[in-house]
Amino acid sequence: MSKRIMAVDDSRLVRVQLEDTLKGTDYEIVAYCRSGEDAIEQYPVVRPDLVTMDIIMQGMDGLDAAETILKNDPDARIVMVSSLAYDGTFERAKAIGARGFVDKPFHQEQLLKVFGEALS
Amino acid sequence: MGTAMTRDTLAQILDQALQDVTERTAGVRLNQGEHILGDDLCTVHITFDQGFDTSLTLCADTSLLARMARNSFHEEAVTPEDVEEFSKEYLNVLCGKVTGAIYRATQSDVHFGAPVFYHGRYEPEGQEAQFVLTYTDEHSEGAQLIHHQVPSGEGKADGTDRREQIR
Repeated sequence: MSKRIMAVDDSRLVRVQLEDTLKGTDYEIVAYCRSGEDAIEQYPVVRPDLVTMDIIMQGMDGLDAAETILKNDPDARIVMVSSLAYDGTFERAKAIGARGFVDKPFHQEQLLKVFGEALS
Repeated sequence: MGTAMTRDTLAQILDQALQDVTERTAGVRLNQGEHILGDDLCTVHITFDQGFDTSLTLCADTSLLARMARNSFHEEAVTPEDVEEFSKEYLNVLCGKVTGAIYRATQSDVHFGAPVFYHGRYEPEGQEAQFVLTYTDEHSEGAQLIHHQVPSGEGKADGTDRREQIR
């Protein structure tokens, strides 16, 4: 059975890339959110196995949204997907309980490895 | 770029990032080489902040950006709005890749603002071009990536919420 992914990103380019990358894998994108606020609202409705979360979006950023989702559901599996590959960002993502970090633009191998670790 | 990085190192980072991002996002292989841009051009411009008083300008044949947008969005035809959306997102991803490489090389945490799109050639006023990387592809379409020096102070955040500025 496919693992259900909720993708949170305001970029059409990244959404298409994510779809392409996950085609033919055991992961299925079941919901898209374009903002942190939308992700917080949609998460309890969608109940995904995994959330991919961009960091910089209009309005609430992905780190704040991930923190809120994890406060409401400490078992949520969230992987940050961002080009902000700095130590400070990694540390904050880890501190709030994100299960992984994927650098944009991503490779399939890298994405699947981090997803696998996040779900293990 | 305001870092301790040499111009050659920065040019190499920009070149690798552009080639990698272009191929991975749009399936287009761009190589450095001689190319004279046509008359139908688009430009996307982005400014770096936090003391890195520089900007990057991507000026490309519109036909190249349209083909990259079609490939990326999996559309048979794209509108001018699609080309603009693609171009801005493409430069965002490119700059993310560049700042990541700069961070790994210098431990400098560089941020950049929202990209601005122009029809035609745009040259940022008062900014001096440091170097130009020129690219072409198998369809003889091309692009230029121009690294500008911004007069001190202009590249810094303007007081709006940084979370909405940086990408």
